[in-house]
Amino acid sequence: MEKITIKINGKDIEAVKDQSVLEVARENGFAIPALCFHPEIETRAGSCRVCLVEVSQNGRTRLVTSCNYPVRKGLEVRTDTDLVRRIRKGVVELLLSRTPDSPVIQKLARENGIEKSRFFVDEGEHYRNRCIACSLCTQVCEEVVGVSAISMLDRGRDKAPGTPYLKPSQVCIGCGACAYACPTDAISMIDEGEVRKIWGREFKMVTCSVCGKPYIPEAQVDWIVKTTGKDRSFFDKCPDHR
Amino acid sequence: MVNRKLQSVAALESYRAKIAESQKNEYPVIYVCGGTPCLAKGSSAVAEAFKKEIESQGLACKIELRHKVTGCQGFCSKGPVVSFGNDIVYLEVKPEHVPEIIEKTVKNGQVIESLGYKDPQTKKRSASFQGIPFYAHQKGMILKGLREIDPFEIDDYIARGGYASLAKAFSIDPDKIIDMITESGLRGRGGGGFPAGTKWRSCRAIDSEVRYVLCNGDEGDPGAFMDRSIMEGNPHAVIEGMIVGAWAVGAHHGYAYIRDEYPLAVKVMKKAVEDATAMGLLGKNILGTGFDFDIKITRGGGAFVCGESSALMRSIEGKVGEPRAKYIRSVEKGLYDLPTVLNNVETWANVPLIINNGPQWYRETGTEGSPGTKVFSLAGKAVNTGLVEVPMGTTIRELVEKVGGGIRSGRMFKAVQTGGPSGGCIPESLADLPIDFDSLSKAGSMMGSGGIIVMDEATCMVDVAKYFISFLAEESCGKCTPCRDGLPRMKQILTDITEGRGKEGDIELLEELCDVLSYGALCGLGSSAPNPVLSTIKYFREEYEAHIRDRRCPAGVCRNLVTFHIDADACTGCTLCAKQCPQACITGERKKAHVIDQSRCIKCGVCRDVCKFDAVRVE
Repeated sequence: MEKITIKINGKDIEAVKDQSVLEVARENGFAIPALCFHPEIETRAGSCRVCLVEVSQNGRTRLVTSCNYPVRKGLEVRTDTDLVRRIRKGVVELLLSRTPDSPVIQKLARENGIEKSRFFVDEGEHYRNRCIACSLCTQVCEEVVGVSAISMLDRGRDKAPGTPYLKPSQVCIGCGACAYACPTDAISMIDEGEVRKIWGREFKMVTCSVCGKPYIPEAQVDWIVKTTGKDRSFFDKCPDHR
Repeated sequence: MVNRKLQSVAALESYRAKIAESQKNEYPVIYVCGGTPCLAKGSSAVAEAFKKEIESQGLACKIELRHKVTGCQGFCSKGPVVSFGNDIVYLEVKPEHVPEIIEKTVKNGQVIESLGYKDPQTKKRSASFQGIPFYAHQKGMILKGLREIDPFEIDDYIARGGYASLAKAFSIDPDKIIDMITESGLRGRGGGGFPAGTKWRSCRAIDSEVRYVLCNGDEGDPGAFMDRSIMEGNPHAVIEGMIVGAWAVGAHHGYAYIRDEYPLAVKVMKKAVEDATAMGLLGKNILGTGFDFDIKITRGGGAFVCGESSALMRSIEGKVGEPRAKYIRSVEKGLYDLPTVLNNVETWANVPLIINNGPQWYRETGTEGSPGTKVFSLAGKAVNTGLVEVPMGTTIRELVEKVGGGIRSGRMFKAVQTGGPSGGCIPESLADLPIDFDSLSKAGSMMGSGGIIVMDEATCMVDVAKYFISFLAEESCGKCTPCRDGLPRMKQILTDITEGRGKEGDIELLEELCDVLSYGALCGLGSSAPNPVLSTIKYFREEYEAHIRDRRCPAGVCRNLVTFHIDADACTGCTLCAKQCPQACITGERKKAHVIDQSRCIKCGVCRDVCKFDAVRVE
């Protein structure tokens, strides 16, 4: 681990080479908003563009996404210039026009001084949910869960996560990691009694032998047993009663 | 199968001498253009007619025709083109012309002037490359091969000096090769204009056992067909360039990524790779030097964005073609995260020229900052359109007025659009601008891959901006917010303006959105997407204002904002417009002024197009 020194908003900051600017900045108390960043995800698609910062390196200054910009020697970062604020505001206003009823986006908009998006709001099919097409859900499913039940479908503003051909996926384990990771709560996951509904499929839940609460889909237990070799009886009780 | 593998550089040279000897002819060679536009206009029938005529006259052993169908000969708007290796070129040739051509031109060396080019102004005819302005003002460094070589015959390429640069390169240290490319000043022809030598050197400098050399043949700009024509017409030049590049950077595997909408290019390139491999010019131990390099052909997935370098690499890997952040460049982490050099088709085709003739020779053409020539697909409202090649630094005016022969139907030259959807519009007032990478960028456009669309006074610049933004909104991969959600908003505002719903402040809102894309988008396509809007606002702001404030389209294009009516003084009552009107809403007696029923007019403009007396007015 090579230690280097960079500058953030004029202050000297120690960092590890190739760490992301966003992580270094946050660790040192500089606030940078972000939607599609998740510390456990390596992909760092840089898709929402909310975490833009200004960097100067080798005599060149430009806006970059801090979540996937690697820190290298001599880097200077500014998190709050006029340009950063202006472009971030534009990005957030576009997100608000896309998902006007998302509380997360509404809050972010207020923080960036936006009352209402000036852009035409698309009332068509694209306005059906709060998805900002950041692809974090598909990365969690691939990288963390390891099943790749969903991927990004279509392109342009029709781009959205989904199962192949939008049919119930046979590899989905119903774990809901995608729904938990989603920054805008756009993925519908409904637990009703002993059944969980997600991505158009119903999963039977395992009930805790102590409290009687259904807490994990059977398919997820199968997956964990298969991939880790853990004993099935471990899942008789929910985490609160183990 | 006979083993045709050439075991050494000397074997290549003696093979070349042998083919050249066998191709010596008593009669001139007949080159029938086999470019896609000429094929569409019936050049296959012309080639067939030549074959039959030669056979029936018993001339087969004396004429090297071999259905000598070449690559694109350039003058697409006047195809099928037939030329003779000397200075003679015939246009719009039909099968019935063939016996006369054989008799007069092939056997007796006579020129048939009536098959030449007719100057629209002077009415003079010329059947010589030097006498036809379209050709006379070009410099065919890259395109010369297309006009003379049968792309399906590797021997034809070798006979004309093919693979000589490869043989020469093997005697030069790879670092010296990179020096030569750097000194030549060769810049990437795909649009960015990045110095090729710098890219190669960075890739070579990375410590890695595996490196890749890629060719970008995913030409997707509307109206651009340079790379397609080069791949279809002279595939071995591209392959030779790639092998030299691989030798220079130390790569042993290459891919040519070709868009699947180019079936002929895919077919030609596949055949060329197979032939070069069979001859020992690709594969293991090339020309006995111990150097290995192979090329695989990858067909594109049909998305415009796959022409972007990082998306192209993902697509080759079999993943969804989406760009990634390139904070770590692809010379360091490219295909399969390994060091990769990606250059476009035309850039590779320049490499053999530089190695053969030296960097100093190359720099004699073009400008200080942009040496060499550039191939353009000249399209739009010019009199002559097609595939052209001019030295860098040629002015826009020279290209439009000399090569292009000015504007069709006597209208005024208004602007040119360069660089495809990511480029911009340059007005006639700046037409003396030299065409090179830096001048075009400074004017708010870009070289792009080389599409040039000529526009006349009947072109609405707001409508043009709307066209390109709609294209880009359709082709956006959707990965990042500014491009995915910004382009549809821009399209909506432009649509409102062209349909008469424009508001004060729309221009400023567009400019704001343009900034969000320029600074905020993830890849080059998103960040250059505002160019069509920004350049038209910069040079044609008054047109935007006329649409918004006066609800008027000065060019008479935007239907909601124009009315068609007939000038009673100019109308002769010929009835042509009334006959052609699809709504049958033009009435009037013969030899008396006609009238358009505005309530039923759909503003299609047919009446204006057919009127021979310029009596239909648009306001």
